[in-house]
Amino acid sequence: MKSLRHRLLFAYAMVVLAFLYIPIVVLVLYSFNASRINAQWSGFTLDWYISVFQNRYVLEALYNSLTIGLIAMVVSTILGTMTALALHRYKFRWKGAIHSLVYLPILIPEIVMGLSLLVLFSQLAIPLGKLTVIIAHISFCISFVIIIVLARLEGLGREMEEAAQDLGATPWQTFRYVTFPMISPGVMAGALMAFTLSIDDFVISFFVAGPNSTTLPLYIYGMVKRGVSPEINALSTILILFIFLVTVALVILPERFRNRMGDKKTQRQMPF
Amino acid sequence: MSRGRMLAYPAIAWLLFFFLAPLVIVLFMSFLQRGTYGQIIYQFTVDNYIRFFEPLYLQILGDTLFMALLTTIICFLLGYPIAYQIARLQRNWQTLMLLLVMVPFWINFLIRSYAWVIILRSQGMVNTFLLDLGLIEQPLNLLYNFGAVLLGMVYGHLPFMILPIYVSLEQLDRRMIEAAYDLGATPIKTFFYVTLPQTLPGIIAGSILVFVSSLGMFVIPDIMGGAKSALIGNLIQNQFLSARDWPFGSALSIMLAILSLILIFLYYKALQAQQGKEDSR
Amino acid sequence: MFQGKQSKMVALVLMAFFALSILTGCAGGDSSSRQVLNIYSWADNFCEDVIADFEQKYDVRVNYDIFASNEELLAKIQAGGAQYDLIQPSDYMVATMIKLDLLEEINKENIPNLNNMVTTFQRPSYDPEDKYSIVYTWGVTGIAYNPKYVTDEINSWQDLWNPAYAGRVVLLNDSREVIGMALKKNGYSNSTISETEIQEAVEELKTLVPNVLAFDTDTIKQKFIAEEAWIGTVWSGDAAFIYEENPDLEFVVPKEGSTIWADTFAIPKGAKNKELAEKFINFILEPEVSVQNYEYIGYSNPNKQAHPLHSEEYLSNPMIFLSDEEMKNTEWLEDVGDVLTVYDRFWTELKVGR
Repeated sequence: MKSLRHRLLFAYAMVVLAFLYIPIVVLVLYSFNASRINAQWSGFTLDWYISVFQNRYVLEALYNSLTIGLIAMVVSTILGTMTALALHRYKFRWKGAIHSLVYLPILIPEIVMGLSLLVLFSQLAIPLGKLTVIIAHISFCISFVIIIVLARLEGLGREMEEAAQDLGATPWQTFRYVTFPMISPGVMAGALMAFTLSIDDFVISFFVAGPNSTTLPLYIYGMVKRGVSPEINALSTILILFIFLVTVALVILPERFRNRMGDKKTQRQMPF
Repeated sequence: MSRGRMLAYPAIAWLLFFFLAPLVIVLFMSFLQRGTYGQIIYQFTVDNYIRFFEPLYLQILGDTLFMALLTTIICFLLGYPIAYQIARLQRNWQTLMLLLVMVPFWINFLIRSYAWVIILRSQGMVNTFLLDLGLIEQPLNLLYNFGAVLLGMVYGHLPFMILPIYVSLEQLDRRMIEAAYDLGATPIKTFFYVTLPQTLPGIIAGSILVFVSSLGMFVIPDIMGGAKSALIGNLIQNQFLSARDWPFGSALSIMLAILSLILIFLYYKALQAQQGKEDSR
Repeated sequence: MFQGKQSKMVALVLMAFFALSILTGCAGGDSSSRQVLNIYSWADNFCEDVIADFEQKYDVRVNYDIFASNEELLAKIQAGGAQYDLIQPSDYMVATMIKLDLLEEINKENIPNLNNMVTTFQRPSYDPEDKYSIVYTWGVTGIAYNPKYVTDEINSWQDLWNPAYAGRVVLLNDSREVIGMALKKNGYSNSTISETEIQEAVEELKTLVPNVLAFDTDTIKQKFIAEEAWIGTVWSGDAAFIYEENPDLEFVVPKEGSTIWADTFAIPKGAKNKELAEKFINFILEPEVSVQNYEYIGYSNPNKQAHPLHSEEYLSNPMIFLSDEEMKNTEWLEDVGDVLTVYDRFWTELKVGR
């Protein structure tokens, strides 16, 4: 009975996962399509995989997207986690106001946020470029990180931390060895969310980007008028493959390695 | 103790400066007037807010709320089990699965949406397949309608639901579940009285993220819905990029934000009341 | 510390990403101190080789950023802070930008090749003094249809209302274009400021909506190529593009007349490298360069010196070059000022179905 339930759950999860990948399969398929426009199947080719590496604009855009995404992710995860910890633990006089401030960036339509940031930057005479895009991305990522980390913290008790402090741990030690390990799934999920939001953002980036800071979404949206080139599909396919190889290597290889070595220390670390 | 509070200051300062300051500009703009060529005239007016209450715009608001609500519910029904499944795995596999869930969303949003169009259009993969099997005689109209928009909305927002729920499921106290079983509770009862309440923070965070993001959505109705209907996001977009009526667009945005804040507040209160009832049982 | 492992893993994935980004950076970067021309234009609007030739000839670097609609361009320029030297607004946007004092006068003495241009576009209504803009390419809005499905003769906008095409009609997702089309059908100006004329047009459009598959500007080409759409309003340049991928396509300019549009070169106020921008315009107008450029982008070349050098295929394409008769019956969309909000309101009504 129990195992049937678990198998059903597993099957359901796999169906949802498959749903997420339906369009991905199609886009990979169309990266081999001979036609320049993404409309109809007209024959197999590998040309796009060659030409994408000769397209300096695509490569520049990819480079910009990755660096902006990584910087925005790191900064917003650090700032967001710090804020979530403080908000969870301490009383603030303006708690309601602060919570609203945290939620507002998610509530305000992107176009309004983009335009208002553009107006702000031009009032302050900050030249538009990579810096302004990074600032804008951090501004909307912080809120997502705070909300996710807070969701984690709300389910935690204070007992462990209090115990650590009673045993004489410094605040830093308490954080490093007690708090952080407990909230790390939340931090990781927040970071993933921040990176995902940054790498796929168009509207806000559009308004605050200047010369030399064209990101991949900006480049792709610009191509829409003339038809998105299958080079983008080829590039996406390479990226997906790259991510898969890296994660699989990181997840499966250590497991194999561990099993072969029969590392007892690791086994003891397994929670259940 | 007060030193710890300072942890929040950098992010708050950041948001005050790079978010609230520009937002004040928007608020200010919403009380101004549109000039003949779309420039802004510095003359105070509340007309933009009065205009919001015209039946035409209220209907759009209603349609948008309905769509956002439906999206949130479906995302919850799809997202909770997968989050549950991920949280049951070993740590390494959890990471792998989480990445698997997120990776599709690192691929450009437009490209993914066009892929859906390729699948669903009248000469698309689904229709061709069904026609070849002889199950249908005429291609089905799968695109450019309400269902297609809903599909796009759910697809685009699913990770917003999965991530927070995973985060709170992952810390589920399994001893409580075992205790419930020991006391003879059925699995369904255990789920509704133990698991669900414990993961409430994740559910709240997830549904707020999904609901609010779908309120402002405008690209999906255009691509999947054939731009045949308008949600409030499209309306706002049009004010800035086609009617060039920045003041009205600003007023619409402010109203949307206020409305969302109120809804979130009510949602929070309702859930807290619910939780309070359950705790006292 | 079992949780630490998980974070490490994510960190490793991200580090791999970082390495990747550095690799792509090496491939794409170029940070020399040459003079830079910042162009802001539609995507894919120049032949890449032509830009590379220009860079080489004048030892400069061209930065080519893109927008997807005129209004996006306007918002960016209006807010200030963008450092572009050369922009490509369409006709009505030139008029708006002139009125908002956003454009710099072009010094035509720096562009001797202007003499190569056809005379059709001198003193256009959107730039009556011919001071601020130079036509880059142009086209008209017409009806495109697939003769496999549409067998009747098509010569009027009214044909879109034919119930035989229910669910197969595509319209541009643009309030001015669609309402303008209905206005033209009724014999009015496509830029009327009379609310009753607009209302009449919108009432008729409401009866067209049941026929409509989708409103679409950006991916309308795909809908015709995949034969999702049978008939619809399409820009001539897009029709030429569709025809290349799917030759089952006819294009007509309806007898009631239609809307003409042009993309132009213009220089925004405060451009840092104005002279370099003018050099670039002059370079594009070189006959040999323009042949290479326009054959690549597939839109109409307004350069008469270049016409003898073009391929027969390009010159004889009725979707790239229209007959004089068709051209006579066209009208520019003009900035309607305050009435634009009326258009927008009716457009919203049309979408909501009230």
